[in-house]
Amino acid sequence: MLMVEGGLILSCLIPALHFGDGTVWPIMASGLFTFNVGLLLLVSFHNAKRPTNRRVSYLLVVAMWVVLPLFGTLPFLSTGVLNRFADALFESTSGVTSTGATVFSAVEWLPSSILLWRSMTQWFGGFGIVLLVLALVPTMGINKYSLYTAEASGADNTGKQTSSMTTNLQQTLGIYLLLTAVFVIALWKSGMHVWDAVNITFTNISSGGFSIYNNSLERLTHGQQYIVALAMLLSGVNFAMLYNFFTFHWDRLRNKLEQLGFYLMVYLVAAIFVIFALRLKMDFGWGDAVRCGVVQTISVLTTTGSLAADTQQWWVPITYLFVVLSLCGGMAGSTTGGLKAMRVLILVRNVRKILRDKLHPHAVNPVRLNHKPVATDIITNVMVIFLVYAMVIFIGIMLLMLSGINATESIGAAIACITGYGPGLGLSGGFGCYAGFTVAAKLICSFLMIMGRLECLTVIILFIPAFWRR
Amino acid sequence: MSPYKQLGLRKFNYRLIARLTGMMLIYMATSFVLPLGVSLYTRDGAQFALAFSAVLVLMLGLFLRNFAGRGAQYELKENESYWMTLAVWVTLPMCGTLPYLFTGGLASLTDAVFESFSGFSTTGSSVVAHPEELPAGLLVYRAMTQWIGGLGLMLFVVAILRKLTHGAGRLYEAEFSGTLQRKLHPHLARSVTRMWAIYMLITAVMIVALLLCHTTVVDALCLAFSTVSTGGFVTHSGGVGMLSGGGLAVVSLFMFLSGVNVAILYRFFTLRWRNIGRDEELRTYLTIFMLAVGISVIAFHSVGDSWLPAIHYSLFHIASTMSTCGFYIAKPERWSFVVSVITFVLIIVGASAGSTGGGIKLKRIIILIKYVGNYFTRMMHPNAVFKVKVNGEPVESDYINKIFAFVFLYLAFIVGGAFVLTLCGISIPDAICMAAANISNLGPSPLINNLGGNLDYAQLPNLAKWTLTLLMLAGRLELFAIIAIFSPAYWRRG
Repeated sequence: MLMVEGGLILSCLIPALHFGDGTVWPIMASGLFTFNVGLLLLVSFHNAKRPTNRRVSYLLVVAMWVVLPLFGTLPFLSTGVLNRFADALFESTSGVTSTGATVFSAVEWLPSSILLWRSMTQWFGGFGIVLLVLALVPTMGINKYSLYTAEASGADNTGKQTSSMTTNLQQTLGIYLLLTAVFVIALWKSGMHVWDAVNITFTNISSGGFSIYNNSLERLTHGQQYIVALAMLLSGVNFAMLYNFFTFHWDRLRNKLEQLGFYLMVYLVAAIFVIFALRLKMDFGWGDAVRCGVVQTISVLTTTGSLAADTQQWWVPITYLFVVLSLCGGMAGSTTGGLKAMRVLILVRNVRKILRDKLHPHAVNPVRLNHKPVATDIITNVMVIFLVYAMVIFIGIMLLMLSGINATESIGAAIACITGYGPGLGLSGGFGCYAGFTVAAKLICSFLMIMGRLECLTVIILFIPAFWRR
Repeated sequence: MSPYKQLGLRKFNYRLIARLTGMMLIYMATSFVLPLGVSLYTRDGAQFALAFSAVLVLMLGLFLRNFAGRGAQYELKENESYWMTLAVWVTLPMCGTLPYLFTGGLASLTDAVFESFSGFSTTGSSVVAHPEELPAGLLVYRAMTQWIGGLGLMLFVVAILRKLTHGAGRLYEAEFSGTLQRKLHPHLARSVTRMWAIYMLITAVMIVALLLCHTTVVDALCLAFSTVSTGGFVTHSGGVGMLSGGGLAVVSLFMFLSGVNVAILYRFFTLRWRNIGRDEELRTYLTIFMLAVGISVIAFHSVGDSWLPAIHYSLFHIASTMSTCGFYIAKPERWSFVVSVITFVLIIVGASAGSTGGGIKLKRIIILIKYVGNYFTRMMHPNAVFKVKVNGEPVESDYINKIFAFVFLYLAFIVGGAFVLTLCGISIPDAICMAAANISNLGPSPLINNLGGNLDYAQLPNLAKWTLTLLMLAGRLELFAIIAIFSPAYWRRG
């Protein structure tokens, strides 16, 4: 894993050399260091037993998501763009978890290698490093399925296209690469510099949200903004679905159609509300209102965090709606954060089931999804995740408030970090940044990002004493 | 073929619903005797308005009972129990607005509706900034609405209606949606009568205790009604701050008691103490209470109070919050921040199941936490089988599912309600706190709000008041009854 990351850092040398901005040596040093540590670990544990235990796989996943951001801080620290470790850790975690919360109030002065590194961590992380590694290293022999459940918490284990995990992952990776390539070309053709196109695609296809401009997407032409919106929209769709779509297996799409419908419906309703609110309450022209509404709403729903305008200034109900939307998130099996459309759908359907039970106490009223009854295991799993998610958010908000952040900002930051949206409310929202947060608050936020990315359960289980008992 | 079937509607037992609602209204009209008596005694000039509203309510009640509800069959079907609950819970508070309007105590209909629903749902949110300016009779009436709503109107229906054998249990459940009520007596109506007896006894004891602490008769009546029902209406703009130390202690004690399951209180008063100590919910209630008091004492001490007042404050405050009563001594801006956080948590958690308090209820929380704990163990040992037990009795998985759904709905209501509130120009944290405080039937918002530190809701725009009214009702009926009317299945022909 670390070798891969080291390799990525090294690849940031290309822009550094190309633009000649004097960050070559620090970047190279951190890249080589990471690479070597990875190599060392691999060599020293070469003969380690292949772990198949569930507990080990939980531990492994969490360890990866802690270690990678730690090494990801190296480029920031070694080039000196960030002096404090907490800042670097925050930025790095935010990248790897594809959150997009930043401590930089302005990013345009940063060396291009650092910019690429930020974009790259998101692109890399957005897909889930674990999935990536599993696809690339099929020979490792770890029980892949248990690792996969650890990461995706089993939200959608009905959704494997083929029986082989490895093929599945390779297909997904293929789609991811394809989308990236398509959108880089599309943006490039629309008149953007290749460098910008690559960065913007990386951060938006991964639902990350880091930007290379101070004012995020506002700099882009309107056409380009719509292209990015499309990229975000697709990044919120289940990758298996995209794969089946592009390979013309359209009959297989049916088993996720309701989730897709729900996702699109939420988007549509929210976007229409935002458009009208912008037009009527904030004196946007129709063109601007539509553009901002369309682009910003999808950015929120997929928890990307790219900004079409400075949302900090927007009408309060819109910002509140954004917080709620980011909690909902895109479809399961995509790069987005949040609860995911499927879970929300199951939660809503379950309420309906209970009302039906009341009306017809002797009938069997299963929760149905795509016309098939959902197994009770999945329902309980969804319920538990929902509850734990809510509790973690709640505790996160309390901790942030204890660290001296005011109530509005705490709510915004906790939810933005756990869902992976990025910009919070108040000073940390819109074009603002998290620089004003205390060290403790930054660490809490970083932790919340990891929690959110791993969907809470995997992380929390490590804190249960029984986990460590033999 | 009845005309209803021809229209494609289900044959609906609307006559029974009308009849029961009418009977409730008649009882309500008779209860006007008390405020009327107070009004005549204190000569506050509200007697005509009160008498007039009583007559109107009585007439409406008689009409519903004797004309609309003539020849009703005493049988309630599943879906009708929700309609029944809703009919009573909307009709009574709506009729309850009359005294506010007739006395001129509240000018607008919105305000009167807000106040009346707040009373019947035992929320205690008020639009009256200066209650001492209201006539005494109206104050007593206002407090009395909480007392009537305290144990739940459906329990009243069950108690007065021995004839209703089919569906009484359903009514009972429609209001206490699935809190695994332990019955006091095998016969439902009798056990409900006993609950009312306990309720009255506690109220009477509290009134006497308050009178002994040198409060006026009006204050004693109002405070006792507000406390025992965990409502929270006050009689002075300074809240309960005007009480003596002894009076505050009495209020604290009774607030604490009213957060306990009535069944346990019943066992306590009938001297059957054997199993009380083993009740898990009671133990959790006590533990949380002690913990919260401990933390808040330290918090108050750290912002500069000396120990004794800090303990005094904390006991009062935590009892008030846990029972979702909603009396405050210290105004919110004096609270340390930690106390606000604890307050918010306690509001959501709420009181014990089967008490007069609101919130999610401790029993549900206990079950959920146990279940989630089991879930984590199962993540490590996928083939293990666990069963959640409360008080030694296993809990069915259907029931757990229902609780999860309840919590989801609860949070969804708070989030959705807060959204409407933000539309009215309220800041996000305030909106969330107000929504939570009203759906939990607590009353005043626990955060420092932007209404100039006032605990009343007078300054809010109308949309916000209506939203909060809906939330209060939803919280009191434990959500499902409210959701049901939005569900097409309940409109369809069965």
